[in-house]
Formats: sequence, structure tokens, C-alpha cells
Amino acid sequence: MKNRALYLVMVVILFASACYQSRHSKGGGQAGADSIRRIHAPDIILPDGYQSEAIATGLNFPTALTFDDKGNAYVIEAGYSYGEDFNTPKLLRISDGKTETIAEGEQNGPWTGIEYHEGNFYIAEGGQRNGGRILKVSPTGKISTLVERLPGQGDHHTNGPAIHNGYIYFGTGTFTNSGVVGPDNAEFGWLKRHPDLHDIPCEDIVLNGINFTTDNPLTPAEGDTAVTGAFLPFNTASQAGQVIPGRLPCSGAILRIPVNGGKPELVAWGLRNPYGLAFSPQGKLYVTENQGDDRGSRPVWGMGDVLWEINPGDWFGWPDFAEGKPIHYFKPPGKHGPSALLRDREKKVPKPAAVLAVHSSSNGIDFSTSGSFGFAGEAFIAQFGDMAAGVGKVLKPVGFKVVRVNTETGEINDFAINRGKVNGPASKRGHGGLERPVSVHFDESGQNLYIVDFGIMLMQKGETRPIRNTGVVWKISKKN
Amino acid sequence: MKLALVILAICAVSCTSRRMPADSTAVAEKASVAAGKKIYQLHCDKCHPGGEAGLGPALNNNPAPGFLKRFQVRHGLGVMPKFDKSRISPDDLDHIMAYLKARKREPKLPR
Repeated sequence: MKNRALYLVMVVILFASACYQSRHSKGGGQAGADSIRRIHAPDIILPDGYQSEAIATGLNFPTALTFDDKGNAYVIEAGYSYGEDFNTPKLLRISDGKTETIAEGEQNGPWTGIEYHEGNFYIAEGGQRNGGRILKVSPTGKISTLVERLPGQGDHHTNGPAIHNGYIYFGTGTFTNSGVVGPDNAEFGWLKRHPDLHDIPCEDIVLNGINFTTDNPLTPAEGDTAVTGAFLPFNTASQAGQVIPGRLPCSGAILRIPVNGGKPELVAWGLRNPYGLAFSPQGKLYVTENQGDDRGSRPVWGMGDVLWEINPGDWFGWPDFAEGKPIHYFKPPGKHGPSALLRDREKKVPKPAAVLAVHSSSNGIDFSTSGSFGFAGEAFIAQFGDMAAGVGKVLKPVGFKVVRVNTETGEINDFAINRGKVNGPASKRGHGGLERPVSVHFDESGQNLYIVDFGIMLMQKGETRPIRNTGVVWKISKKN
Repeated sequence: MKLALVILAICAVSCTSRRMPADSTAVAEKASVAAGKKIYQLHCDKCHPGGEAGLGPALNNNPAPGFLKRFQVRHGLGVMPKFDKSRISPDDLDHIMAYLKARKREPKLPR
């Protein structure tokens, strides 16, 4: 009897831990993937009654799509990808499978989103080199800047836009993973360009004075260390009770400006990387948030990406809350649990509309409004897919698909996924389906859904390797 | 020795994956299964998306008996957090188990 109990405990322990701790990461971009982009729409599995086709291929890091008032489709190419690949951002018109360049930007990408509104295009420029901007582009390609010097030079960028009631809403991502500048930011590439940058709160915050000692990648000497506090430049320690003044524009926030330009106004903050913004048919603003990674000075683990309903004045808790839960829930295995960095903040934060898969990189969002397409009122979200092992370990690829979410119940269902025994990007699975869906957009009729597929991005030997000219735009429609 | 081999075989099988169709409607037919899906998505889905492997291992083809899975949920061995009765009630855990069983009966995706 005693032996049986012992064996039972052994079985439980083996099931619970051996499978995780002893296994290597198997992310979608990790070894085994090649750089060949095949296009074969039947490799995308959709609900019965739907079909897919590729309407543009060979795109260079495409990120978003929109339509003008005549129904012409336009796509933006980012001009920057993780992996420090800088090139020229472009606005392209798609016609009969071919593209025509309408406008070219500066090497300050990534262009992360676009919306057409009353005769002009509005683009969120990520700002990896010089800070984010919201751009207005005329149909002839003339570019003007509506707002500039937005946070965007760090890990995350200026995102959006979504236009509603005379305002352009956009997101500003945080500079860091979880509030502290560290060696991981040097690996991203930006810390050496901008050693003084750090996260910026939207309102005054008080620090607990927690500091982090790390290697110092900014000096050539081996063994050099740096001590860094939250919301401060690299190698700058914090003090308990230290006040960091809030200011606009801040990082990790939803901001807005009038359509014709003006000073940014705060809508909500305490977000990590608010990527996709969209208004529901009822006029509510929803935002997808990419959540924290197991990396850097203050690693976190097990944080699902989140779909939030945004109400003016909301504070969502970053860097001391995620998914509406306190930070101590997210202790990485085998490492110290993260402690709260901020003093005297609210103990309650909003509840998510939905929690999506950890490391799924849930990005672009749009709402179905058409009964004939189906799922009217539901949010469709493009999942770029994991960037393991750089963001932490996954046992199998996560994301690489489009999901639909009922924002009332939080129920999540797959909508477009790749065929195969195991999930993952097409290049890894050896077929011609989805690679890295980054945004979704319904056309004006609401009867066709367009998926912008960024293309191949490999994560090999500790490096991010995006492959140029592998992007695709897919069209999903009901079969006749 | 025999027991060790059996344990090893179970672990190996439990770490492989099994996928279901994109539009899974059959699972919603029974009330307890529909309730289980909702609770599963609240607590489990982010690490085991749709029952597949992700941050955590796949559950769709996990051959462990139900009582072991319940034990795992309650005690959170390994890297998985525990979920006590205040977070997942006994009824809700029953619903989750019903949902996982229903998922196992779903047809596989084409390879």
C-alpha cells in the first residue's frame, strides 16, 4: 500500500514537472523552419462555408490594410522589423495582385497601422529611431505629421490608429518588458542607440526603491555591472519613496489627438504594449495588449495577452499587474518572484474582456458587423505567434492564427488556423498557409475579412531573423 | 522496472499533441460541456490553448485518469499553479473535465 502511494506520487510529479523543466523550447520560429514562403490557401483551415485566397504576395513586412472610399485596398509595409532590419516604410495600393507605391516614409518604422478617413490615410509610425508619429497621407502620397516625439524607440512602438468621433486614438508601447531597462534591451538593439531612455508614467508614481543588478552591456569591460531602478535610465538606481513625475506623451498608454492634429490627451494607461485598437459596433474601444516575457532584469512568466475594453481614465496596472492580477502571480520557474515596483497605487484594476494565449502576440483587431459574413459583433484578432525562445520557453508554437472573441462572454474560438498535426507557421509546417498574421480588417461591406501576414520571422541562435519579401495579404469570404 | 517503463511511456504520449477543427461546435451541445469551456478559457486556455500545447503541455491527448488531472489542478505540482476551491469550485472542475472529455471526441484536423 505504501509502495503504491509512492508510485502514485511519482506519476503525479512526472506528469506535472518532468515534461516542462526537462524540455527545450519549441517555438514557431525556432530551428527547423526554413525561409521559403509557399502560398497554398487550402492549407488554411476555416469554419465550414468559408474560403481563402492570397491577393498580394512578396510584401516586405506588411502590417496593416485599409480601403479608400472607392473600395481600393491599400497595405502598409513596416519599414522595420525586430532583428534590427531597417528599410523604407511604404503605402501601397493593391490592384489585381500587383502593388503600386503611393507614399514612402523615413527610416523610422515600423509603420504599425493605417486607417482611411474622409479622403486621407492616417498611419501610426512606430518610431524605432526617432520616436513615434501619427502621419496624415493624402491620396497623392503627400505626408504630413500630426504629432511626433511619441514613445516608440524601445521594445514596443507607437501603434494604432483608430478614428472615432473626430479623434485619432493610438497606443504607445512601453520601452521595457516589465518596467526596468536591462541587458535585454541592448539585445533588442535600442539601448546602445538611446542609453538614456526609459519608461514614462502618465501620472506621478512613487517607487518602492527596488533596484536590479545586471551585466553592463554599454561598457566593453567584462564583469562590469549596472544597478537600475524602475522608470529610470539604465544604470540609475532608484530610492524608496522617489517620485517619478508623470507627463505626456507617456509610454504604455492609449492617447488621442483631434483628427486635424493637436496635443495628445490621455485616455488610459498602465498597459504594456497596446497594439491593436478598434471600436466595436456599439462604439466601445477595445485594445489588444501584448504581455510580459521571461527575459531581462525583471522576468515574468505565464502572462496571457489580453483584450481590454478601454474606458477613459482607466489604469490597467503595468508593471505591477497583468490580466487584472497582481504581479506575484507571474513568477518564472526557478527564479525569484517579481515584487511590486510602485507604492500606493490602486489595488484594483479592470477585468479583461478576454485572456489570450501566453506569447501568442495577439495584435491587430477588427469587428465583424455583417450577418452574412457571420459572427457579427465578435472581435477578430490576428495572432502573430510566439517569438520563443527570446521571450521565454514554449513547448509548442503558440499563435500563428486568427481567433474570434465574444467580448460579452470572453469566449475565444479559432477562426483561421493552419492544417497539420501541430500548430505553427507555414514555413515550419512545410506548407503554404498562414505565417505570422499581424492584423485583420473587414472591408466596407463587412462580407470579406483580410488577413495581413507579416511573413517569415525566425528565432535562431539567440537572434531574430525576419525574411524580407515574404509577406502576404489573404482574403477570407463566404463560399457562394 | 516495468512500472518505470509504463510511466515513461505515459509521459511520452502525454507530451505529443492532437488538434481539433477550427470551428468546434459539437462541444457546446451539452450544458456542462459549454460551462466547462467557459471556465477552461478563464483559467486554463492561456497555457493550453484549445487543449493543445503552448506554454504548458497538451491536454487533448493526455491519457492520465481524471483523478490525476483533478489532483494536478488542486495541488499545482511542477510549474503549474494550483487552483483551490475558491478559484475553481468542485462543480466547475466537473465541467472542465466534461469539456476536456468532449474535446477528445472531436475529429482530428487534416495533417
